[in-house]
Amino acid sequence: MFGLPGQGMHLHLDALSLLFGCILLPQVVAAAVAGMRASVAFWVFVLGMALALLAGDQFTLIFGFELMSAASWLLVLQGDRKPATLYAGIAIFSGACLIPALFLPASSLAFVLIALGAGAKAGLAPLHSWLPRAHPAPPAGVSALMSGGMVKVALYVLIRYAFINLASAQQPWWGEALVAAGALSVLIGALRAVLEVELKTALACSTVEHVGLIAVGLGLALYAKASGDAALAGVALQAALLCAVAHGLFKPLLFIGAGEVKHATGTTSLNWLGGLMRGMPRLGALMLLGLVGMGALPLGPGFAPEFLLFHAVIGAAATGGILARIGFSALLAVLGIGAALALAAAVRIIGLGFLGRPRSLHAAAAEDLRRGPLVAMVLLGALNVPVALVPGLLLQLMSPVILLLAPQAHTLPLTYAPLTLLILAGFAALAAGFVQTRWGVRGLQEAPAWNGGFGRPPAWLPFGDPHTQVSATGFAEPVMRVMGKGLLGVSKTDPAERFLFVPLFRVQTRLVRLAERVRRATIRERLAFVFTVLVVFLLVLGLGEGG
Amino acid sequence: MLIITLTVLATALHIGLCFAGAPLLLGLVNKLRAWLLGRRGPPLTQPYWHLVKLLRKSTLVPDTATDLFTFWPLGAFLAVTVATMLIPGFATGLLTAPAADYITVIGLFALARTATMLGGLETGFGFGGAGAAREALFGLFAEGALLVLLLAFALLAHSTSLDGIAATFRTAHIGISVSLGFALAAMLTVALTETGRIPTDNPSGHLELAMVHEAMVLEYSGRLLALLDYAGMLRLVAWMNLIGTIFLPFGMARAADILSWPGGLALWVVKLLVMAAVLSVFEVSRAKMRVFRVPEFLGAALLLGMLASVFLFVAARIGA
Repeated sequence: MFGLPGQGMHLHLDALSLLFGCILLPQVVAAAVAGMRASVAFWVFVLGMALALLAGDQFTLIFGFELMSAASWLLVLQGDRKPATLYAGIAIFSGACLIPALFLPASSLAFVLIALGAGAKAGLAPLHSWLPRAHPAPPAGVSALMSGGMVKVALYVLIRYAFINLASAQQPWWGEALVAAGALSVLIGALRAVLEVELKTALACSTVEHVGLIAVGLGLALYAKASGDAALAGVALQAALLCAVAHGLFKPLLFIGAGEVKHATGTTSLNWLGGLMRGMPRLGALMLLGLVGMGALPLGPGFAPEFLLFHAVIGAAATGGILARIGFSALLAVLGIGAALALAAAVRIIGLGFLGRPRSLHAAAAEDLRRGPLVAMVLLGALNVPVALVPGLLLQLMSPVILLLAPQAHTLPLTYAPLTLLILAGFAALAAGFVQTRWGVRGLQEAPAWNGGFGRPPAWLPFGDPHTQVSATGFAEPVMRVMGKGLLGVSKTDPAERFLFVPLFRVQTRLVRLAERVRRATIRERLAFVFTVLVVFLLVLGLGEGG
Repeated sequence: MLIITLTVLATALHIGLCFAGAPLLLGLVNKLRAWLLGRRGPPLTQPYWHLVKLLRKSTLVPDTATDLFTFWPLGAFLAVTVATMLIPGFATGLLTAPAADYITVIGLFALARTATMLGGLETGFGFGGAGAAREALFGLFAEGALLVLLLAFALLAHSTSLDGIAATFRTAHIGISVSLGFALAAMLTVALTETGRIPTDNPSGHLELAMVHEAMVLEYSGRLLALLDYAGMLRLVAWMNLIGTIFLPFGMARAADILSWPGGLALWVVKLLVMAAVLSVFEVSRAKMRVFRVPEFLGAALLLGMLASVFLFVAARIGA
């Protein structure tokens, strides 16, 4: 019915598409429940993603991929016009890279084009700076699906081609290039997540970081596959895929929560929030769960992937040439700093958004979750629990995918045991409880906190002067001072924008001016131009004949 | 059967000794510091009385804090507790050894730091927020440095579990290598920062603008402060155990071999005493540094950690 003439459309389901389908399904349900049910563009968007995952031939894949891009562009356009234009540009670029790449024979050129096309769509550095602008624009459910699902579909295309379809032409440098791009994404994404004041933008920056983590895992696996290191390929793939699963669960949760914050308070700027845990305890608890995942804290869903990734990098640094090994030890430092930055970003969102005093009356008067988003968030939160507590089981379920991607991969059991840690913590909690009941004094008394010597706030500020509390910008100031100025410059612009987009825009402006100059040419200039061209043409022709 | 019983006993002994001895270790450090400064100093048991006093005082909650105010000290305490249980002390081969991966331990310390930072932000006033922001900054380089250090250990020991590292470093002839020297310097730098000692933070400082840890726990009182203070004492023990396990693993007992216990215990006590003495001498001889000098201090640790690995790579290349 559809498809290329004479060939039709082919659907194909294997372990890889099944895994990514499973990542996608809960988000789609959650986004639909959270209020996107009635939107046609949303369902077209979902259809496009499903088609791209289930595609059995190149045409279906590109058709689904472009359907996804077009529908999500419409959805972004509903939210905000300015990022929508940028988004369309990036989507066209990624399509222009992917379409030739899918039909090329297996070669390095095909890999580069796939990596550029899928990487631009996934928000991999240096083509990431559109993502923190475009993802926060549409309604929360769509933001959730774009951050949690769409980038995964792009990564799926990258995985399918890099590991399966182009496997015959594999080169070691493919993995190294992917690792470098991933490390850059981790550093810039995590740093910007700490510095951004808007909640949704900070979450989108954290998506860039997680895409970077997945790319580092995939790159290490490619590198290991090319150099024949079975154990490294196994652990790196485990890290990448588990990270994709975990991120696909906690990031939509956080985006839907951010949408509810916007609904309840009218803003997502952390500088105007604060103390939401008081008015929105259920939202606060669910966001806390998601942010524990985002900060990669132990006992949360984000720790096991990070744990595996560190092991993979250590494994990669154990063998190979000396320059590669030094590079991998630097990568380890970057990943460690990235993890600490992600942690700081998560702490900043909980601490400034949900704890302490309200910074505006809107935040003070916020009411708790509506029913739809509550159901969606509880669903995603409940699915986070198995990822957090039994990651080993999940990895076993994933082993067919790993064998499909790297048939020689050798996987080891996970040495991170969250349940053991939980049991130990339970013992300690019991002991502390016993000491407290046996010797301690019960009860709590409310008392005013010491406000640092400021005067009494005026009567129209029932929660005190917001300026006596640390602000979102203030909390990030030490990080900005030590790392931000070096990496982002004083103006806090993304390096990708400064070095890639600003020059591109400058070229575009020049071309537009040139076109305008041609359009405005007088009749004499045009006639002169035509005459010159004619003379040159005749000259060339005459010289050609004479020679 | 006997081996399992012995392992359980050794684990219980390790946990019991660490938990009971943590305040004593802090008392010892305080006493030594006082001696070095020419004062008589508080009695060794002072930290115990401090905890008992706090338990029996009433607990105040700021009226600007949310309901989670009481949760953060417990979270910080539990994370440090589990880390203390995981890090081997006098013996290797404990019941907790399979879970004692170095990265898990780093994660648990990060969890404790997070809970403390959130407790600081909870009060809703400037001091807690400033302390939390600085702690977040210190965490960046500390975590990077710890991970890079792990690379050096993993290259030498072919294992990332603390038990494996200790077992290899105890038996194999690693010798005194330049790499381990760099690694030790880096580890000590991070340890001083993580436990909030001079030169990065002043444990006896109170109400000054440069304080970090104290700023975050300023509004805690009564049993909640007791939990936080006890967590701080445990953290000191845990870090000393960590450094002892990696850099001074000689004479550690084996959990399944009861005859090796007395020697292991005695040596463990001696190691802790030596580390406490070194810590107090170092603290007395240094001044606290400015807050924005600390990232440079920790950045140096990160570079030293990387150099440790790079030296190992070079050594492997030239076949030394």
